Amino acid sequence: MAVEVRMPTILRKYTAGEKAVHGSGSTVREVIEDLEQKHPGVRGAVVTDGGELHRFINMYLNDEDIRFLGSLETPVSDGDVISILPAVAGG
Amino acid sequence: MSEFRIPEPVARAMIEHAQAEYPKECCGFLVGPPGDAREQVKLTNIDPDPVMRYEADPKEMKRVYDELFDRDWEVVSIYHSHTHTPAYPSPTDVKLARDPNAVYALVSLQDRARPEIRAFRILEGRIDELGVVSEEKAS
Repeated sequence: MAVEVRMPTILRKYTAGEKAVHGSGSTVREVIEDLEQKHPGVRGAVVTDGGELHRFINMYLNDEDIRFLGSLETPVSDGDVISILPAVAGG
Repeated sequence: MSEFRIPEPVARAMIEHAQAEYPKECCGFLVGPPGDAREQVKLTNIDPDPVMRYEADPKEMKRVYDELFDRDWEVVSIYHSHTHTPAYPSPTDVKLARDPNAVYALVSLQDRARPEIRAFRILEGRIDELGVVSEEKAS
């Protein structure tokens, strides 16, 4: 499955400035793994060492927050769009 | 000190947003072409302790990012208010600052009659202040 992944500005340092890249896989996690091969550093920015989605990263599959789907195991289909959005927070 | 330009109507709108949410912290973006803070986007603070902290609603952010993506604009600045402390990044702000490209702007309502806006870059724990320049655009 080929999907578009929209990168936030803070992750574009891994994608040579590209605002969107393409990855393949049958789940969100597989797409991230595929991106890691092409754009090393992306995985560590999104997924913890324990393999979970970072607390301060939101990922959307099309218009749905993947935390309310199957998180990183959410299946993806050809033409889907994954958006990575870092949380905006402070005190 | 480098400058950070905020159009006067946008600066006024940031202060109005902060006043409207008081005593809760408000949060939002200034968006535009890279480096050019043209428009304000208000976001909802969904933190359970909104008087002390803020977290922008990710659903709203998704909508904003989609629009920016289509326009080739970006989040030039992330702003929020401090309702009881100065317009200076708190330790939590520094810890949670994720975006080295964004200018972190703060609106302080410590003195509600004299709101203050200051702007910073926050990079790996280091705080660099920018001089806020806010004026009507010459037509």
